[in-house]
Formats: sequence, C-alpha cells, structure tokens
Amino acid sequence: MKFLCVSCDTQMKLEETTGPVEGSLSVTFACPSCAHRIALLTNPWETQLVRGLDVKIGGRSSPAEPWEFVRTMLAARREGTLEGSGDVATGEEGSTASTELSSRAQAEGLGAGPRCPFSAVANRSAEAASLLTWDPAAEQRLERVPDFIRPMARQGIERFAAERGFTRITEEVIDEVRGTLGF
Amino acid sequence: MKTYWDIVGDGGSNVAAQVGAQTARLRGRMAHVRRKVAVVSGKGGVGKSTLTANLAAALAMEGLRIGVLDADLNGPSMAKLLGVRGRSLKAGPDGILPPEGPMGIKVVSMDLLLASDKTPVAWHGPAQQESFMWRGMMEVNTLREFLADTAWGELDLLLADLPPGTDRISHLTGLLPDLTGCLVVTVPSEVSHLIVKKAVSAVRDARWAPTLGLVENMGGFTCKHCGASEAMFPGGDTRAMAAAMGMPFLGSIDFDPRLAAASDRGVPFVLSHPDTPAAEALARIARTILGWVEAV
Repeated sequence: MKFLCVSCDTQMKLEETTGPVEGSLSVTFACPSCAHRIALLTNPWETQLVRGLDVKIGGRSSPAEPWEFVRTMLAARREGTLEGSGDVATGEEGSTASTELSSRAQAEGLGAGPRCPFSAVANRSAEAASLLTWDPAAEQRLERVPDFIRPMARQGIERFAAERGFTRITEEVIDEVRGTLGF
Repeated sequence: MKTYWDIVGDGGSNVAAQVGAQTARLRGRMAHVRRKVAVVSGKGGVGKSTLTANLAAALAMEGLRIGVLDADLNGPSMAKLLGVRGRSLKAGPDGILPPEGPMGIKVVSMDLLLASDKTPVAWHGPAQQESFMWRGMMEVNTLREFLADTAWGELDLLLADLPPGTDRISHLTGLLPDLTGCLVVTVPSEVSHLIVKKAVSAVRDARWAPTLGLVENMGGFTCKHCGASEAMFPGGDTRAMAAAMGMPFLGSIDFDPRLAAASDRGVPFVLSHPDTPAAEALARIARTILGWVEAV
C-alpha cells in the first residue's frame, strides 16, 4: 500500500505508527512537499491481516525470535514449551501467571502470557506516551472533547508531551497543545 | 497523477522488506536440506502420516539425516507417531532445536505446542467466527517459521506430511519452491481414487513439483489365523490409476493391526517388525526414495 499526496503528486512518507488500541492501528503519513498529513486507521480485521503477515508497520527494532509468531498468536499453548526461556502457557485455564518470553521479546511487546493479540504490529512510537500520567483536571478537560474524537485527541496530546519529555499531562500542557496544534 | 507502479519504495512502511527478510531466512535454512519431499493425498485417513513416519525411519536406517515437518497443523500426529510427544523444545543459538525421534529423526509438529490432548489449534484474533478470513495467513506463517526458525542442521531429506485437502499445497508452494517432488498416497477404493486424482491435479496445476509416485496403503489384509490374503477395499485398481495419471506405482502396503499398535506406541513399524510384509513393502518404497536422494 502506498499513499500519494494528490495536490503535490508526491509519495507520502510514513511518519508514525501507534497502537493497536482496541484492535485498531493508526498509521500517519505526511507529504514531504506540503507537509499535509493523513492517518490510516484500521479496523480489527485489517489489523489482523497485517498481523497475519508477521510484519510491523514501520519496521522491526530487532529481529524476530525463533517461532515468535506461532508462540505469540497461538491462543492456548502448553506450559514450558521452550526450556529455559521462562516460557509459559497461554489461554488455558489454570495456567500460571505470565512471565516474559525474553527481554528482547518484552521490548517488542511479545510477552508469552495472555495478552493483546494485536501487539507487536506497530513499532514502539507509542511506548513513551504510555508512561505518561494525567492530572485529574487535565482528564476533565479531555472529557469535554466529543466522544468520537477523544481517543485521537488523547493520542495527540500524549504524543506532544512525550516528544517534549513531559511525564505528566497537566492543563498547562493541554493549553500548549492547543496553542501549537490549533485545537 | 502517479499510479502505484510509478512510485518506488513503500514510503517507509517497510512491509516488503520484512517479507523479503523472512523469505531470505527461509531460503538460507532450506539450503542445508538436500531433498524435500511432500507426502500428499487429498483424502483423509489413507495413512499419509503413518507412511511418512515409517519412511523416515526406514531412510534413517539407511544412514540418511532425516527431518519431518508435520504440515497438518490442525490434526498433527507426527509427534505421536515418532515418539516425541510431550517433549520440550529448546532454543539454541541457531533456532529452535527440534526433538529427535528414533534414529535421530528431527520432528517439528504443532502438537509440541498445544496445551493438552483436547486443545484445538486456535489463534488470537478479533472474532473466531470470522477466522476463516485470516486463518490461512496464520497457518502459512506458522509453517514458514517451522521451516525457517528450526535448527534442522544439515539434512539429506525433509519429509513434509500434508493434511487432507488441497489447501496446504498452495501454502507450501511458496515456502518450498524447490521441492523435489510429491509422494502420493491412496487406499484402493474408488472413493479415495476420486479424491486423490484431484490432489494430483492440484499439485500439477500449481506447477510446484513432480509427482514422484503413487503408494497404495492398506492394499490387502492377511488373516493371522488362516494366512489367507484378502483385498481390504474391493474395486479400486491403484496400479492402473498410477498409469493413467502418468506416475510410477511405488508399491502396495498391506494392512497390519500391529502397525496401528506400533504407531500408537510411537515406534515406527519398520523398526519393530522389519520382517513383516508391510514393513518390507515400506522398506522397498524407502529404497526408491533413497535413489532420488542419491541422484542429487
């Protein structure tokens, strides 16, 4: 799939991938000529098709581990399948608590235990945002944003904060976002 | 306005490069396997897996280094047939170390990953009711990983045991484009012949690999009390079918209840009962395959 800025007749470049959130990936492309940006938002089935290719939009930050795909995607797997890896069962009643597959898999969001089936589809650009905390007052401000656009607004604010090294989102941060991004 | 084909590159999504890397890894791994043979039928219950396990053992006895890929992800049986069921997998520096069955046969099967005897293969996904849309992609990527990420080492022969139906043929054509050929299995019934012919056509239509020969399983039955030999299935002439389809008839294997018992114990029949007619027939077929391998 390729994206073309019709105005400039120029190929758009991938800028960022985030998610999946509730089964949806957000992939942002920008035109290098006019800076126009668009976002591709996938539904859960489209996300699953991407996952089925065993690829990460935007590229992997480290090579895949052996049998990573099958170990990650199999809904119910035997405990201790892989000796010495801290590998545990998934999805079966009575299985032990999740431990991590390995440090590298952990870094890729590939813990072996019960987990979001869509993780590891996108790269880790959203990782920093997930470490942010929201002040209650800032959360209340966000609540005033209409439902249908709130997730995107939250994502934009978190991205803005993460890029500037903030660890806490306050009303002042929201004001700054509004001033910078114009909403 | 530019079209898709006017634009070079993928704008940074890197999907094509990742798929290319997967393919390169697979090709690199398979370069260490001299011959690859798929055991196919199209028809279920004809004994593909039992034949695969016994041919693997017979060829290992001849000194070949053998690997077995259980390509039947939803009905895996090779781990049981080759006595490695329940074994733990080990991760080595070069990939997953496959458990070794009799005579050092390396086995990879989905059964090694499943949680219990009653656990079916199910995938994480948005809704199982719609899994038909994406299940094939899950399966083909699993097979790719089984082939590419397993530390098979140097092999003289990799046997791939395919499930019934023709779907897996299309899955494997991309994964094993340099397949040596397909070994076709049937029982001597008209119903089986009808279905097996379709599988042969599917292999040929895919222009994947030659059909190396036809094996008749459960061709006859010898009464252990009176010694009389009888046909198991009246009607189907497998030798004539092979001729009509333009492929060699490799032999007929008699039904022997001890073969089923040995399979349940995870012991290849050719090792436990080498002097029986069924084991001798299996050994003859194995020697034919050995000829293909050594012709490289």
